[in-house]
Amino acid sequence: MKTTAQARAPKHARKKLSKLARREELQGYLFILPWLIGLFGITLFPMLFSLYGSFTDYDVTSRMNFIGIDNYARMFADDPLFWKSLYNTLYYVALMVPLTTIGSVLLALMLNEKIAGMRVFRTIYYLPAVLSGVGVYFLWIQLLNPSTGLINTMLGWAGIPGPAWLSDPMWTKPAIIMMKLWSVGGGMLLYLASLQGVPSQLYESAKLDGASAFRRFWHITLPMISPVIFFDVVTSFIGGFQIFQEGYVMTDSGNGGPMGSLLFYNLYMWNQAFGLFNMGYAMAMAWVLFVIVLVLTLINLRMSKRWVYYEGGDD
Amino acid sequence: MKKKRFVYPLALVAVSLLLLLAACTPESRSSSGTPTAATGEEPKVTLDFWTFWGSETRRPIIEKIIDDFNQSQDRIMVKHTYLPFGDIWTKNLASIAAGNPADVIVNDYADVNLRASKNQNTDLSSYLAEDDIESRFYPELWNNVLYEDKAYALPFNTDTRLLYYNKEAFREAGLDPEQPPQTWAELEEYAQKLDKKSENGYEQVGFYPLWGDFGVDSWLINGDGGNGYFDESDQAAINTPGKVATLEWLKSWQDRLGRQTVDAMKADFGSGVSDPFISGKVAMYIQTGTYNTQIEEFGQDLDIGVAPIPEREAGSGHWSSGGGFVVEIPKGAAHPEEAWEFIKYLTDVDAQKYWAMENFDNVANIEAAEDPEANENPVYQASVENLADTKVFQVPLSASGYKDLINPHTDAVFLDKETPEQALEGAEKDVQALMSKNQ
Repeated sequence: MKTTAQARAPKHARKKLSKLARREELQGYLFILPWLIGLFGITLFPMLFSLYGSFTDYDVTSRMNFIGIDNYARMFADDPLFWKSLYNTLYYVALMVPLTTIGSVLLALMLNEKIAGMRVFRTIYYLPAVLSGVGVYFLWIQLLNPSTGLINTMLGWAGIPGPAWLSDPMWTKPAIIMMKLWSVGGGMLLYLASLQGVPSQLYESAKLDGASAFRRFWHITLPMISPVIFFDVVTSFIGGFQIFQEGYVMTDSGNGGPMGSLLFYNLYMWNQAFGLFNMGYAMAMAWVLFVIVLVLTLINLRMSKRWVYYEGGDD
Repeated sequence: MKKKRFVYPLALVAVSLLLLLAACTPESRSSSGTPTAATGEEPKVTLDFWTFWGSETRRPIIEKIIDDFNQSQDRIMVKHTYLPFGDIWTKNLASIAAGNPADVIVNDYADVNLRASKNQNTDLSSYLAEDDIESRFYPELWNNVLYEDKAYALPFNTDTRLLYYNKEAFREAGLDPEQPPQTWAELEEYAQKLDKKSENGYEQVGFYPLWGDFGVDSWLINGDGGNGYFDESDQAAINTPGKVATLEWLKSWQDRLGRQTVDAMKADFGSGVSDPFISGKVAMYIQTGTYNTQIEEFGQDLDIGVAPIPEREAGSGHWSSGGGFVVEIPKGAAHPEEAWEFIKYLTDVDAQKYWAMENFDNVANIEAAEDPEANENPVYQASVENLADTKVFQVPLSASGYKDLINPHTDAVFLDKETPEQALEGAEKDVQALMSKNQ
């Protein structure tokens, strides 16, 4: 521990802030005051309220009695639909994140070639990411039509009898994942930018040493873009856990589809909160999801030290 | 110099706070008001009436009814606010919690009791004590607005399901077009005669029970003597012999046609001209009474007839299922007496008859429903007669959310994952567990 005067100086310097510096600090706080008000009022306060509410039987209009951990106990011990919806969401995330990440990276690699007309290709591949919302779901309901939809027609050309995508509980989640793969253009853009930041002399010296294309990819490209991959994986994870719209729109009035296969966690929470008015229970569900996502993100962060290579320094 | 420095940031903060306040004031709801020419000297009470009837057909009808009410007296002016179907429920909940709800709202018939138990609607007993209008409604519908024997809403409209059949197809198949099937056995027989098969699938399917607006739960009512999932004492009555037999019968249809065929054909069904019955893909189809307006719009050339839902065997009853909407006064509404006047008007003969005639919708007021003028249309008359056999069920509060537990089991039957007995046994077990948790 350094105890030289130099180390202590900054502390003293803080105390003796000149009037000017103090005023500037106050001005700074005033400037961000609206955002702070928003943070506390719109984000933090509702979060704390919901944390308290999860320990009550709150139903918005008639009661809010403290019931301790009853909601959580019921959720874990007594609610088969909780486990089912959690399974559905985990299945979706576990498949969606790796597939879309790999898909985006491969797509970016292909679109990084210097071929004439590459801009056109990049635009085409990026377009699906721009479309969003209910219209896209209805489009996909048409595409996934078991007898006349494009997907099954194309599978038919390859001799594979396509399944009833939205009626067969085994294939409903893969259908949604397929829908997400269609819009990998968004991630692709990120990777494209970072690929172009990889210094070409690394590739040149590797070629001189006789490295094959695959080894160049594995030992140069991947490590150099690994920070972006890490960012993409973490945000995909967090976003994936929030899936709701697909289940709500593509099933009959949000009931969760054939044999509850599209009953995602958020959809079940929505049904509990706004259909049955079990708001306290839904708040408990929300906090459980928060903890799960937090833990997974922390695991991600710790594991990242092993495979993310930061060019800037640090080990 | 010092002053200048302080004024700038302070002004910025003031402006941004003002913007924040402006953003946070309650947004003015989109509304289409009826003419507000106020001629009376007494202060008028303005009521806010929330509906989700914004379509080109329904909106003018409800607004005319509101207009008539406004013209008929001086004290109350009703304003119509349209909210989209999904939004209206959450907005209602939020506004009740915030203490400034609508004055009257159209809500779903099925969970009046749930909302009543959560203090979301107003007890109408005191108003009914002076003005007992219970007798103007169909008794089945009245039962659904009760919570602990007190009324918390008034029934507005309902619907019923009928068997529509294509008379032309009947003639082609050698069946008497004036003799629709009366029992399940006849239904199967006629359906097979009406099937028209070609090399790549069916050109016309006679009938498939689950195409149309009659789901598994409705068939289970029909096949089990008109009993729903819960009996009179609010116990689960899911695993009954009648229901098991019904589920087996339904499955036999899928076995005969093949699951792939059923799924593939269903995915092609659309609405309007690509509706399966209107486009001739299906010869017999169960739908609500208001489906007739679609036929009149898109299928004028069709020669159709309607019949009550076939009964399981002669004498077991042509049970059909229904739904509908009620009008209620949200809890905390500012002018409950005036709101009561308005909902009394909405459920009275004039308004109900107008609604029935313009929409061909089944209304809750018996006198309006049986009015001869409306009943000139044969399909409408059939739907009114069918109300006698239509079951409308209230869900016991302890079983809230039962559908999410039953549906996976019934789905499993059609996916060959459970037998009908296993499915209904599992469903009853799950629902009973839910109910004992909620006691």
